[in-house]
Amino acid sequence: MITGYGHFVQLAESLQWDETAIDLTADIEAWPKLEQEESDQVLGLLAGFCIGETSVATHLTSFHGAATTDDRMDQVFQAQARDEARHARFFDRVVREVVGVPGANMTERVDVLRDRVSPDLVELFEERLPAVAADVAEDSDNLTAAVGLYHMILEGVVLTAGQHALLETLKGCSVAMPGTHKGMELVLRDERWHIGFGSRVIQSADIVDDQMEELLTQGVKAASAWGDLISTDDIGKVEHLHQRRLKSVGIKFW
Amino acid sequence: MTVEQTEARPEAKRWLCEMCGFIYDPEEGDPDSGIPPGTPFEDIPDDWMCPICGAEKSDFRALEPGEFPEM
Repeated sequence: MITGYGHFVQLAESLQWDETAIDLTADIEAWPKLEQEESDQVLGLLAGFCIGETSVATHLTSFHGAATTDDRMDQVFQAQARDEARHARFFDRVVREVVGVPGANMTERVDVLRDRVSPDLVELFEERLPAVAADVAEDSDNLTAAVGLYHMILEGVVLTAGQHALLETLKGCSVAMPGTHKGMELVLRDERWHIGFGSRVIQSADIVDDQMEELLTQGVKAASAWGDLISTDDIGKVEHLHQRRLKSVGIKFW
Repeated sequence: MTVEQTEARPEAKRWLCEMCGFIYDPEEGDPDSGIPPGTPFEDIPDDWMCPICGAEKSDFRALEPGEFPEM
């Protein structure tokens, strides 16, 4: 079982952080000293996060309007949206200040970075997610399916895989990037409760076995959306976690 | 009339993952990870991870009797 929505409201409040307070001085100095392969790997992952977090921050707003049955659920969606916007600002700050990606604003920098990620990743965040968000805005009965895609797959599989890959990559770089690493740890901390919250929504909805099977199948495929940026070992780990998670939320809540 | 006295068995505590809100209930265990029902949290191997978010055992805290954050 998973805690109630009131607990998530309190948890979200206790975990707030300021993306502008992270010191990127060492990262800015480190970037030009990285090996080409290292910088390609880091930038590829950062590009994925810029695209992913920008999209989720934009489209999550449809969800909290649909949480009509429980005010606390609605509050949690709002808290999560605040986190996602902060994540988007953090990654934009890194690509702007550390990497020097050009663009007058976040949207222009995402446009520059889009070619660095696989079409599968772009399709997930810039086509499937907006479509699901539109479904939710039209009919709040679509909320459970939307949470299945958003929390279980996009956050639980795709972004989780990317987070672990980026942290591992940064640890292995020839020059340290402590600010980026610190911010990524804080993003991962936020995402853990987001996934817990989504799991609670799914658990409460009591979805039937064929819907669960579909979620499982989609998640297994989604893990490969990062292409060559994620190792097959790491894909296997996140797929295993995805399966365990879905089995856990299949337990009947008393 | 005799009253058979039995030693009260303390109820095994439930544990809360502070990262994601998952509650480990020893009565349920985590069979999919090889943790059978009836396993106290303290007896779970140290490399076990939260089934919801992947957090480590050290990220859990014990829930007090009467503490029901799932409500």
